[in-house]
Amino acid sequence: MYAERRGCIHVSDESANPADTTETATTVDTADAADTTETEADGGETLGGASGASTVASLQARWESARDRELTVIGLTIVGVSLFPYLFARAPVVSDLLQGYQELASLMLVWGIFAIGFDILLGRTGLLSFGHAALWGTGAYAAGWASANITTFPLLLVAIGVTTAVVLSVVLGWLSLRRGGIYFAILTLAFAQMIYYMASAPLSFITGGDNGLTGVEIGSLLGVFDLGTELPSVAGTLLGTWRYAFIGAFLVVSVAAIYRILNSPYGIVFRAIRENEQRAEFVGFNVWRYKLAAFVLSGTFAGLAGALFTIHGEYVPLSSLYWQTSGEVVIMTVLGGVGSLLGPLFGAGIYLWVEYIVSGGYPFDWIAPYWLLVLGSVFVTVVVLFPEGIWGLIGDLRTRVATRLEER
Amino acid sequence: MALLETQGLIKRFGGLTATDDVDLAIEEGERVSVIGPNGAGKTTLINQITRLLDPTEGDILFKGESIIETDPHEVVQRGISKSFQTASIFPELTVEQNAEIAALGSEHGSFRLNFFRHQNRYSGVSEATRRTLEAVDLWGQRDTQASALPYGDKRRLEIGIALASEPALLLMDEPTAGMSPEETNATVSLIEEVQEELGLTLVLVEHDMEIVFDFSDRIVVLNRGQVIAEGTPEEIQGNPDVQEAYLGGVEL
Repeated sequence: MYAERRGCIHVSDESANPADTTETATTVDTADAADTTETEADGGETLGGASGASTVASLQARWESARDRELTVIGLTIVGVSLFPYLFARAPVVSDLLQGYQELASLMLVWGIFAIGFDILLGRTGLLSFGHAALWGTGAYAAGWASANITTFPLLLVAIGVTTAVVLSVVLGWLSLRRGGIYFAILTLAFAQMIYYMASAPLSFITGGDNGLTGVEIGSLLGVFDLGTELPSVAGTLLGTWRYAFIGAFLVVSVAAIYRILNSPYGIVFRAIRENEQRAEFVGFNVWRYKLAAFVLSGTFAGLAGALFTIHGEYVPLSSLYWQTSGEVVIMTVLGGVGSLLGPLFGAGIYLWVEYIVSGGYPFDWIAPYWLLVLGSVFVTVVVLFPEGIWGLIGDLRTRVATRLEER
Repeated sequence: MALLETQGLIKRFGGLTATDDVDLAIEEGERVSVIGPNGAGKTTLINQITRLLDPTEGDILFKGESIIETDPHEVVQRGISKSFQTASIFPELTVEQNAEIAALGSEHGSFRLNFFRHQNRYSGVSEATRRTLEAVDLWGQRDTQASALPYGDKRRLEIGIALASEPALLLMDEPTAGMSPEETNATVSLIEEVQEELGLTLVLVEHDMEIVFDFSDRIVVLNRGQVIAEGTPEEIQGNPDVQEAYLGGVEL
């Protein structure tokens, strides 16, 4: 029941439509009535007897509704991911307007994974890291280096990238979380820049220095499907390439995983820390460890996105470790809406659209040299007018439409 | 054996000795008030017990075990809870979510690697949440955002959060500070009720002498970091050292 409301908050009904709320309230009451009979503290599933049985039933009901919502979120994500490249790159009218193309659609998903993972830290836990480029870049370099030296299997490259980023995020988090607030941001920035300079010169025999990591070689998926080729029949029209499908699958898995995390005790504790860190400690949570967990979890997705970035571009630029990359993911997340599950995906999409399409010429050639100005204006407009980002804007619009419909 | 014991607790901040060789023993079920003029070291004493501050010297025993090496969250898990001087709540969450967080803290423990486990699986939490909010009389306002509550209610929510972790010992730092007389009365009777119901041991830091003398089984008077008197309200009332400390020696 808590999750029901949480589910609403995080996933879709930011605006909590009134009908929903009453419905929730009734469920709360029945569920609670069942709970009062319960004596067993942990789980309760194992106890027999009448009270045990009703507890099991109520737990099961709650679990089922939670799972239903989970499936809805995953389902919607799958639909969105499947339709997006068609609409963006191939559909009549829409794609002409947007000037979209297949590879940019894939890139948007890659950055989207980075941004939704980053939001675990920024939006949920309230920690601003300015050093996530280190995790993204390291994931990218690890996958790239491995592809040239160990294996070319995409799945293994992803595993290698993620593992490396996780290890690094434990270290970076452990060092940076000694301090809070702005000091934490500065520490992450400092460590990330350290890694950037390490990669640019002392370690250039591995990283390729200023030239970036060339010689990346991506094999075919499971040894069968070449990532560059088109998918068969309808899938090809909708999704385009195997590469997109591969990245899209990881996006869906990421959304599902993050949804799960946010509805686990971690979700509650992260919010408690964001709201009042000292109180969270004084209700008995090990705040420091949860912050580290948030850092490592977001680092995991940064590493995943980094590895996919390498698989997507078959090249790792040195700039992937530069502080600007850290800044970009902050902007994407804020633009999309901090503290919303799917918002940062939109933030990433819009950022990249301006960066690649508006800066690229026709029909935007009159404004192309000023694409950063465009981006800045979009950012300022969104932040000032819609503090909850694009996701908040979507929520507002939906409420308005809903109330209009009800009035009729 | 005393529930809580401090042995020769010394805390120095540079040249200032905030608590100077404090020996306290608090028995189970007791209501103890710690009083003293401003700067006497009351808050410093509490902060050492909750492990927010490291003592310079001395030891703190809870249920016979030293807690000097533990972190604040471990102290809470062992059964010492604290209500803060300012209403320390989770402002942007609802009243119910506030209590839920506290209940989860006690049922779930300080940290677990369970980030894929659904929170609904912690079934005792909703029951504990309800119990807590009913105890502090806020169940009716459970869907209100905590920051929108009147000040007195915020303080009660704060006390609720402290109670939700089902402590053996509750430390209260000026629970009625900033309250209106009505709110103060309501809060005092709330504390008394809860204390009797749960068999809590209470340590109260308070400035309102009326409350202190009505409420306490025993009073500990601190001045300049030292315990200058200890006893029942009657004993303290007549103690010349206490009058000296508070009033600078003016005869009453």
